[in-house]
Amino acid sequence: MSGGEIELIDLNKHFGPHRAVDNINLQIPGGEFFSLLGSSGCGKTTTLRMIAGFERPTSGQIVLDGADMTETPPHKRHVNTVFQSYALFPHLNVFDNVAFGLRRQKVEPDQVKRRVNEALELVQLTSFEKRKPAQMSGGQQQRVALARALVLKPAVLLLDEPLGALDARLRKQLQVELKSLQQQVGITFVYVTHDQEEALTMSDRIAVMSNGRIEQVAPPEEIYEAPATVFVADFLGVSNLMDAVASGSDATGRCKVKVGGFDCYAGRGSADATGTTKVTIRPERVRLEPKGTGGENRIPGTVQRWVYLGNSVQLIVGLATGAKIQALMQNTGEEIPYREGAEVAVHLPATALRILEDTGAPLASAED
Amino acid sequence: MTAVTERRRIAAPSTAQRIRNWILNPWGEPRGLVVITWIYVAISIVPVVVAIMFSFNAGRSVTAWQGFSLTRWYLDDPRSSVIGDPRLQHALLQSLKLAGLTMLIATPLGVMLALGLARWRGRLASASNFIMLFPLVTPELVMGVSLFLVFVNLFTFIPLGTTAQVMGHVTFSLSYVVVIVRGRLFSIGRQYEEAAADLGATPWETLRLVVLPLLLPAIFSSLMMVFAISIDDFVISAWLSCGSSCDTVPIRVYSSTRGAPLPSINALATVMVAMTLTAIGIAWVVHRYMTRGERRTGKQGGMTQAMGAFDL
Ligand SMILES: Nc1ncnc2c1ncn2[C@@H]1O[C@H](COP(=O)(O)OP(=O)(O)O)[C@@H](O)[C@H]1O
Ligand SMILES: [Mg+2]
Repeated sequence: MSGGEIELIDLNKHFGPHRAVDNINLQIPGGEFFSLLGSSGCGKTTTLRMIAGFERPTSGQIVLDGADMTETPPHKRHVNTVFQSYALFPHLNVFDNVAFGLRRQKVEPDQVKRRVNEALELVQLTSFEKRKPAQMSGGQQQRVALARALVLKPAVLLLDEPLGALDARLRKQLQVELKSLQQQVGITFVYVTHDQEEALTMSDRIAVMSNGRIEQVAPPEEIYEAPATVFVADFLGVSNLMDAVASGSDATGRCKVKVGGFDCYAGRGSADATGTTKVTIRPERVRLEPKGTGGENRIPGTVQRWVYLGNSVQLIVGLATGAKIQALMQNTGEEIPYREGAEVAVHLPATALRILEDTGAPLASAED
Repeated sequence: MTAVTERRRIAAPSTAQRIRNWILNPWGEPRGLVVITWIYVAISIVPVVVAIMFSFNAGRSVTAWQGFSLTRWYLDDPRSSVIGDPRLQHALLQSLKLAGLTMLIATPLGVMLALGLARWRGRLASASNFIMLFPLVTPELVMGVSLFLVFVNLFTFIPLGTTAQVMGHVTFSLSYVVVIVRGRLFSIGRQYEEAAADLGATPWETLRLVVLPLLLPAIFSSLMMVFAISIDDFVISAWLSCGSSCDTVPIRVYSSTRGAPLPSINALATVMVAMTLTAIGIAWVVHRYMTRGERRTGKQGGMTQAMGAFDL
């Protein structure tokens, strides 16, 4: 099955004055495992429902394999959905549930039988044909829902938090199964989740959403290692977020920032950023130097906590700016001279300091 | 031995205290409420039980017990039993005819109306939704007079009689069907319809293969409810009656009781009570049977079913 390329162009969905989906642009190539990640209420489900055809966009286009299907009714779209509640027909047994779509396509009965059995084999549910959905566990129902959608060989499979109703252990197991299944069948998956770990482990690419907008679209490593915006860094729980004021790029193409009154340079992220925003640095890139060491990007601080982690040592340093920062130092066998209470110069190398874009999205961490 | 005698003695609770504890029952539902409930049930059922009892009276009195006869007033008495008296027999048939026709007409109409109202959004829809509830709150007498005037002044081409009675019954029982079916539609939600559309079913296929099967318990409840309501009805049947040939069981019971009642009237009433109870009983059992899977998983319909009566 080739194809399965989806394009969302200037897509909007308003409920009254509320912008559930706010001008989304996305391109998802065929065969990709694409995740929509964001906290509850950010518009993931609405986006998915527009692709499936259950919600009509306020404006914008939905394009599948080059054809506009914005006005196509759901039963004529070559996409299928795995609902969060599974929505298995309670009056039909497993076989009839899975066969439902094939029969609507007027597939020959013996073909129906063969393909349903194949699909049930794919999700490891052979010998369950005669069961009613109510007689199955959550995990099994989830697989039936998957088989029911996959049996139609859709170009795109839409999954709305398909593992949301399952317990943690089953989730982990099904995450692995789902990912390998996707690689096996090779169709596009658009996967909605609010669980960042799930998105990071399964996806080829992730779109992080907030307030109906897309904050960043990138592969998992990039989302985590190189968050583009304050929201993304905060949502993924990236450490060492510090308030900063940016004032555009200098001659060398680095961004000039003031971190709590100290002049610094950020060599990563958007160099043209201006205004109040945040900077971040990975803990293992933070250098601690003796008190009073000169040079750029150095801020005085005091070691507040010293935690032995075995192969490394974690130090929590209170900066003169008031912020707290985490530093990881490799345990090379040599004595690490900075103990609790030691005064140090904290070096945030410009090559490692990342300036983030502040999109104004409210931060999850601000709530608690 | 010494240990026992040395132990401190604590007086056992007095009898009064024990009774008090038994009624207040700190470990479960207060028994006082249970007792009051049962007293209420007994009081409200006693008249019915007495009426039924006298249908088995061997003599002709409806107030003095003259021995037991199982079938005299039902079958045996050649002139005045339910079977023997043509007026009683006719009333029974008329009641059954009205209830049957009303059931078969009001239920499909009500299902369609409920489907339409549930899917139709906007100002007019909420107005219709509200109007639908009117027959439930309008005093039956007002309803009867209005229908009477409509047939006498407006629909003059329909004479008072069975047709008018059926139309009257359909008019007011429709609301019950709509309420029952809409409750069920609400509790199953839109997810199955969306799933069906997602799998390529046309709107018609979705209705036929998914929505109607899921509505079956509600449709069945509606059939039985309408039957029970219609067979019970007095006011509307009386207003739209064409005279004694249109008399239903309640009308016949009413007019006979005002004359010189015989236990055969009690027998007729007993038959009616039995039919009503049977209809409701069947509806309850079938509904339980058809929705058994849902209760076990507790996923769908919990709310409305918990609300009880209307979704039976
Ligand atoms: N049918 C609707 N009517 C009104 N508001 C809605 C409707 N559906 C969703 N919303 C609103 O749109 C926003 C996004 O919802 P949703 O897409 O379900 O979020 P998510 O799936 O990311 O949790 C929410 O604020 C929600 O309240
Ligand atoms: Mg959602």
